[in-house]
Amino acid sequence: MPAPPFAVESRLDTRYAVETPEGIALWLRPAGVVPRFYAYLVDAAIRLFFFSISFLFLALLGKFGQGLALVIFFLLEWLYPVAFELAAGAATPGKRMLGLTVVMDSGLPITPAASLTRNLLRAADFLPSFYAFGLLSMMFRHDFKRLGDLAAGTLVVHAPGGELLRGTPPPAPARAPAVALTARAQAAIVAWAGRVTRLTEARADELAEIAVPVVVPRAMDGDRVAALVGVAHWLLGRR
Amino acid sequence: MTPLQFEAQHAAAWEELDAALAPSSRKRRSTPADRARIAALYRAACEHLAIAESRSYPVWLIERLERITSRGHQLIYRQADFGIDKLRRLFVIDFPSAVRAHRLAMLIALLAFVGPLVVIGVLAYVDPSLILSVQDAASVEQYEGMYGDPEGPIGRRNADSDWAMFGFYIRNNIGIAFQCFAGGLFFGIGSLVALAGNAALIGSTAGYLTWRGFGANFYPFVITHGAFELTGIVLAGAAGLILGHALLVPGRRSRLAALEHAARRAIVIVYGMTAMFAIAAVLEAFWSSARWVPAPVKIGVGAACWLAVIAYFLFQGRPSRGRRDPR
Repeated sequence: MPAPPFAVESRLDTRYAVETPEGIALWLRPAGVVPRFYAYLVDAAIRLFFFSISFLFLALLGKFGQGLALVIFFLLEWLYPVAFELAAGAATPGKRMLGLTVVMDSGLPITPAASLTRNLLRAADFLPSFYAFGLLSMMFRHDFKRLGDLAAGTLVVHAPGGELLRGTPPPAPARAPAVALTARAQAAIVAWAGRVTRLTEARADELAEIAVPVVVPRAMDGDRVAALVGVAHWLLGRR
Repeated sequence: MTPLQFEAQHAAAWEELDAALAPSSRKRRSTPADRARIAALYRAACEHLAIAESRSYPVWLIERLERITSRGHQLIYRQADFGIDKLRRLFVIDFPSAVRAHRLAMLIALLAFVGPLVVIGVLAYVDPSLILSVQDAASVEQYEGMYGDPEGPIGRRNADSDWAMFGFYIRNNIGIAFQCFAGGLFFGIGSLVALAGNAALIGSTAGYLTWRGFGANFYPFVITHGAFELTGIVLAGAAGLILGHALLVPGRRSRLAALEHAARRAIVIVYGMTAMFAIAAVLEAFWSSARWVPAPVKIGVGAACWLAVIAYFLFQGRPSRGRRDPR
């Protein structure tokens, strides 16, 4: 019996991989409603501030200034996101503050046509009011695209970077494992050792207790964490 | 090879790539040699990432490589398709041919606009009270001052200057056109409603003013910028209809893929349409409203603009007969 068609979509993990021409997978992490809402608020505040300041000065210029103020209002309303999305970083100041960036859903950098499309179609997302359609679209989709993103083929993602969850293991004398380990087991031990500095001692010990009886049974009574970190060092090549 | 040996062997190259991708070093002018070096380092890093993954190397190593490669990917595949050449090609070839390529959408948008315009225009001329069911009384009262008063510029409440009105036309009219395009996402219905709604507004005003006997002021006022503005709104509606059509009749694509494909074609029309509205705003603010230009001159110039716009969409950007475009 074939798998139901919704099997993939019913995953909870929202990450998805796109393959580059170089044959590697890029992992995209689509950004959900909440960070995008905050980014929108920041951008709205920036636009309002900038418009008020320029309006104060342009008011001194009389009717000419009034016309210019309306042109600036138009540019801020429609083209502010386009200008920032096409600059380096591909994010408006609000998105940058929230660590978001806009890419094509193929993982490629955003194109000018796509940026304009997604930002003009903002008007459709806004309907019937307060971005209701955009919100519905984002909540029903696994990749949180609003209507403008659907038409433009773009994606708002969490920018790669930020704090690394796993560093190098803390120093410990290297020791050989008592049994031959599979590649998966090796990777698990090394990944655990990279997290040790971020875990509490008790939790690190608790996790070590799973592996130590098999990997280094003689260390069961001593410092289990140090023993397993030692194995990680041995696996990494310090022998 | 152990992970540590692997890292020791290649770390220098990774650091070099990392430094080259940093925003601070990107601001400096890069030579072709720099760019070739970055490309080579990037390809090497991709290879290292693939190796590291297949050998289950430690996570921090893989994460580090993933970061460098994804940043490199963003930089290397950035499209630089701005520029004078692209812009020239847009207005000389792409925009008018895109309009011709979507004849049916143009025709439907034209009917959805001109139909209500004529019908409501005639009705408002026959029964002027009808305008009150389309517009509110306050704005109708203002038309007396805008198009009747023999002094001051035409088409505006007396105190507004050319520049203030220019800003208003840019913000208001182009905004309406963008909304008309965006409405297409709702299976085209939004665009049709926006077209008919704007047509009702314009038609009722024209019918009412003709009945009031202000036609001699009103028609010379609208004819010149109308050539750009009225065609512009039809183009915006048609661009929206292209999106709506893709959603309704996706053909051999999925609905979503059809929408993306259609949006890439429709946005060319939106580029051109925006430029037409900008031209219309300049004309409307500085030319159409001027009392010192006699009405016959305005009608002559306006007629020339209409002919130029129609000829532009009919003939501009076709391949010349001698050497046909191989496409």
